[in-house]
Amino acid sequence: MEFGTMDIAAIRSGLAAKEFSAREVAEQSLARIDAVDGTVNAFLEVTPEAALAKADEVDAAIAAGAFDELGPLAGVPVAFKDNMNLAGTHTACASHMLENYVSPYTATCVQRAIDAGALPLGKLNMDEFAFGSTTESSAFGTTKNPWDTSRVPGGSSGGSAAAVAAGMATVTLGSDTGGSIRQPGSFCGVVAVKPTYGVVSRYGVVAFGSSLDQVGPFARSVHDAALALNAISGRDERDCTSQDVTIDFTRGLDAGVSGMKIGIVPEFMDAAGLTSEVKHAIEGAAEKLREMGAEIVEVELPHVRAAISAYYVIAPCEAFSNLSRFDSVRYGFCDPGHKSLAGQYEASRAKGFGPEARRRIMLGSYLLSAGVYDKYYYPAQQVRTLITQDYERAYETVDCILAPVAPQTAFAFGQISDPATMYATDLYTISINIAGNGGMSVPVGLGEDSQMPVGAQLIAPAFHDMNMLRVAAALEEAYGTARVAPDFADVKAGA
Amino acid sequence: MKKIEEVLKDWEPVIGLEVHCELTKLETKMFCGCKLEFGAAPNTHTCPVCLGLPGALPVPNKAAIESIVLAGLATNCDIEKHTMFYRKGYMYPDMAKNFQTTQGPKAFCMRGHLDLDVDEKNINERYGVAELAPGETFENVTRTEDGYTAKVGITRIHMEEDAGKMIHVGGAEGRIEGATHSLVDYNRAGTPLIELVTEPDLRSPEEARLFMEKLRQIFLALNISDCSMEEGSIRADGNISLRRRGTDQLGTKTELKNINSFKSLHDGLLYEICRQAEVLEEGGVIYQETRHWDASKKRTIVMRTKETADDYRMFPDPDLAPYDLSDEFIERVRAKLPELPDQKVKRFQETWSLSAYDARHLVEHRVTANFFEACMETADAKLAKPLANLIINDLAAMANDGLDLSASPLSPARAVELVGLLASDAISSKQGKQVLAAVLDEDKDPAQIVEEKGMKQVSDTGALEAVIDKVLADNPDKVAAYKGGKTGLLGFFVGQCMKATRGQGNPKLINQMLAQKLNG
Repeated sequence: MEFGTMDIAAIRSGLAAKEFSAREVAEQSLARIDAVDGTVNAFLEVTPEAALAKADEVDAAIAAGAFDELGPLAGVPVAFKDNMNLAGTHTACASHMLENYVSPYTATCVQRAIDAGALPLGKLNMDEFAFGSTTESSAFGTTKNPWDTSRVPGGSSGGSAAAVAAGMATVTLGSDTGGSIRQPGSFCGVVAVKPTYGVVSRYGVVAFGSSLDQVGPFARSVHDAALALNAISGRDERDCTSQDVTIDFTRGLDAGVSGMKIGIVPEFMDAAGLTSEVKHAIEGAAEKLREMGAEIVEVELPHVRAAISAYYVIAPCEAFSNLSRFDSVRYGFCDPGHKSLAGQYEASRAKGFGPEARRRIMLGSYLLSAGVYDKYYYPAQQVRTLITQDYERAYETVDCILAPVAPQTAFAFGQISDPATMYATDLYTISINIAGNGGMSVPVGLGEDSQMPVGAQLIAPAFHDMNMLRVAAALEEAYGTARVAPDFADVKAGA
Repeated sequence: MKKIEEVLKDWEPVIGLEVHCELTKLETKMFCGCKLEFGAAPNTHTCPVCLGLPGALPVPNKAAIESIVLAGLATNCDIEKHTMFYRKGYMYPDMAKNFQTTQGPKAFCMRGHLDLDVDEKNINERYGVAELAPGETFENVTRTEDGYTAKVGITRIHMEEDAGKMIHVGGAEGRIEGATHSLVDYNRAGTPLIELVTEPDLRSPEEARLFMEKLRQIFLALNISDCSMEEGSIRADGNISLRRRGTDQLGTKTELKNINSFKSLHDGLLYEICRQAEVLEEGGVIYQETRHWDASKKRTIVMRTKETADDYRMFPDPDLAPYDLSDEFIERVRAKLPELPDQKVKRFQETWSLSAYDARHLVEHRVTANFFEACMETADAKLAKPLANLIINDLAAMANDGLDLSASPLSPARAVELVGLLASDAISSKQGKQVLAAVLDEDKDPAQIVEEKGMKQVSDTGALEAVIDKVLADNPDKVAAYKGGKTGLLGFFVGQCMKATRGQGNPKLINQMLAQKLNG
């Protein structure tokens, strides 16, 4: 059996019926990674010992008749983005700077997944320190899009999206600062959820933009993503920005959209650069929702165009500060032989960080400096307030907003090399991080031109993530559940 | 260099203090659950948060917030209900995250003040105050019966975290110069720290010293820190500049660091005032620089010249949500305020009719205040003044030299007994000092010592009269001289009488009787 391609319910029922053991799930999943990942390169580190140990724990519980006490992810093969700490594994953030760094502790979201029964398969590739939209800035090679290995998987959580799309894991976790969950989710044709800021603890997830970062799941079904959210969400005393969320994210998923009001944003649909195939796909999704009984209405987000400018002030400022701890002194890459501390700092950081990380550090350092701070940081915060108010106003009339995730489907490696052009592709996702709302990508078929997956973005009011999950479930019903990418659907890994 | 008295005639020193105080009485660090413990093996009280490991996040220590609110309420500050933590960036290995979490323009405590009571003997260090009549005010100063009161503004008290400790190995005296390598101990990293900044309202080293002493008394009363200057749990930096008398434009300031005692603070500022005056009088320029007080060489040395302002790239810490204090929280903290030194001084004055001077000096040290109160639990109210004298004149100095008043052989009961013997003229004040020394030495009751040493004061007028008559008869020439106008010889006769009574004659009585006989 190919467990990595199964959904949670199938694994659960198989384990309950003793058709297979958790150990078999783990062994076969590891074998599949062996067979597939040479092509995809989603994993930076595979953790067979941890996966097998957890599998044996799950099997022991089943043998003891305690199956019902096992958490929602019992026996489910799960993997984590490389910026999430798991004690005893490398947390490199796909950077030379942390290439040899081994975590002494475990992130809350990772621990909660494991406590819920997940089998930890390993750590997944990403853009270095999550700076990027293609996973090309990883210091350890690019990840290939399983739908077309000549194309990028998106990013920064490219490994997380590709692992699920290639059937190497049932669920993966990623992080999203400006679209880093939703955009690779769209590019790889999987369900990808960035919950409202505060739903999932950030403790132990290496910070990029602390006020923007949020952890969320990738899966091939909305229901699986909701189960994963159930496992990882909720208040964590170690993260004072986490909230006391006790929602069952699976409730009401099949309630349908009849009677729901769903917004379409002209500022998004008419934006320059939106490819016609993505535009058509989103319009098609809107039509499907209307057919299912939803009311589609236009809503204005007048300040949303300023989101990219505000984001590229706030995010680099926070990143500059968050990355200042990587100084070669206590851990991480150290360029040896310098006579002065300043010399060691300079050389280690110049060689340890890649170009995009250096660019953002320099940008943040400049933006926070005396005399400059007032000109950029304050206005950016003001824009943040305006955008948040735009969304609040929109949600007075709609329950959820439907939008593109990205202007285009997955593109070829190297196709976009100019940073400003790359940043501009974040238009649809970034404002949601700025406002702190929930947003997700759900597959709505293949683009008519590229024949690559297109994701529809659903955006929900803060802490009403259920709204977008419910709409996503309806679209899933209409378009069919996300599939393993065709080239990998039939790969067999023995066992 | 000129003496301070000379300098002060022409120059007005303008002094402000920055006081850092570690909240050593708390159980845990500012942003993590690590234990606060001085002297533990290096890096044993650390965790991902205070080591700045990737992914770790801070969570504020509520007890620390309570402490700073206490400090603010006790120093007449406004408590800001809505504040934020900021990140202050600087790269140095003692700060694991390479930024310090501190507060921004708005701190938890803003706009406070303390009133300093300065003794008469220091009055000339404050320009123009000696000429005032009691009750009259000038600038931030009010003349009192026994000196003056200065109202010193407190700009703010903010919350921050301490850095780790760097140890440089291989260089001289642990200095970084010539060191082969450096070690870092992060046990101290993340220790909750409050920083108090005063307005530039202080005008003399004595005022600065008094401010620190008073602040320390308050923090000790609040029980928020052990306030040990030696261990660095309370540290002060002094900012000082001079301006010509009669002008009001501020001069360039220097910052004085490395002050680990009240004496260093006083002496360092005093030196710096004289040094700056000399430079200015010779037509020189004061550079804005940080100077280090070298107590052994008794001078200040340049540590660092500030050519450009440091750019700390401060911005609100996105990991710490804006901090809101509720009215209920503030009132709950206010209810925990103990009796503060000023209130205690007032109570001592009112309860035992002590002078402001006596009450103030008793309260100046918590141990002496506590000792006084323990004595007064049993003592007659009449003994309050002599007890205050004993404590201020004798015991305070001994306590400063290391005598532990709470555990010495001189229990409050013995002190009361000793003062009782003095008050009833049973022993002379000179004998009193001998008895005090013997109590501490031999651990016996004062009455027993007096008995054993046969120290009873002779107040029997009959016995004394015989002694006096003999002394006068033995010195006819001196008696004649006295009567001829050399009245200063009275002391000689008293001395002879005391000698004849082996020190046990009541000197007051002898004085009276001698005067009567010689003048009569």
